Amino acid sequence: MTSPSPAPSSLPSDAASAVQAALGAEHAAIWVYGLVSAFLPEQFAGAVTDGANAHRARRDATELLLADAGEAPRPAEPAYVPPQPVTEQASAIAVLVLAETDTTVAWRAVLERTDDATLRANALQALTDAAVRATRWRRAAGESPAAAAFPGRPAS
Amino acid sequence: MNVARRDVLRVLALLPGAALAAAGTGACTGTPEEPPAPDPLVELAARARADAATASAVAAAVPALAAAAGEVAGARGEHAAALRAEVDRERPPVSSSSAPPPEPASPPADVAAARALLVDALTAAQKEAGTLVASLPRYRAGLVGSVAASCASLREVLA
Repeated sequence: MTSPSPAPSSLPSDAASAVQAALGAEHAAIWVYGLVSAFLPEQFAGAVTDGANAHRARRDATELLLADAGEAPRPAEPAYVPPQPVTEQASAIAVLVLAETDTTVAWRAVLERTDDATLRANALQALTDAAVRATRWRRAAGESPAAAAFPGRPAS
Repeated sequence: MNVARRDVLRVLALLPGAALAAAGTGACTGTPEEPPAPDPLVELAARARADAATASAVAAAVPALAAAAGEVAGARGEHAAALRAEVDRERPPVSSSSAPPPEPASPPADVAAARALLVDALTAAQKEAGTLVASLPRYRAGLVGSVAASCASLREVLA
């Protein structure tokens, strides 16, 4: 970890539950990246590895942040159920886009539930990274527009 | 009838109190005579609008970038509208007219130069929005954080 700034020593309950939800989104994304690799051709191997590593790093940092604040980090679920079965490249990319989009929603919610500048900086970085990866996967799927105008804004 | 009139009186009686409460909160940030500090989102909205105009000009002038620059123009236009709406929600405008949009400089016809122009604008916009996130009220932190993340995403579209 390169972050030199200490985590807040305690988290108000609304911020803590938002961070737990973001950790849940990171767990789910790690699972999804593990699932899809079998369905994607070699050209995407680097992007899959990079995405999985980024989510693992974010998971680890988020678990530390929660533990330092005296909260028990939420564990990963044993398995997750994609809304559509993943059977080939298109459905694999679709579930990657979904995992990244869920991650943006969770981290934007953290931005809206804390006044702590360090936690906000972490949340903004996580929101931005996930939005960029979602854009890359949409481009890989040939979707347009590929970039969301308001990444993380919950669908209304 | 009697009851209704009493209700009206009660409502009227509440108004000075509400005004006092508003003055009370205003006193925290300065004396009532001082004009309120400019809303920091005004600058973000102006930048978004200028970026949308530049991207539209690039989309029209550089066929190779028409689709990507068009997407940038659309998203930056949405940013401008949402930021402006938030500024107006917080402090309703006295008149509905706003300053005319700035004239975009004629874009470079060279693909690489036009792309660099947009990438640099998005990088500056992401930085400006991201810097503001730390100090904003919570709802605005979410909105402005999304704008920053969108600007980073739009760079990917131009990649």
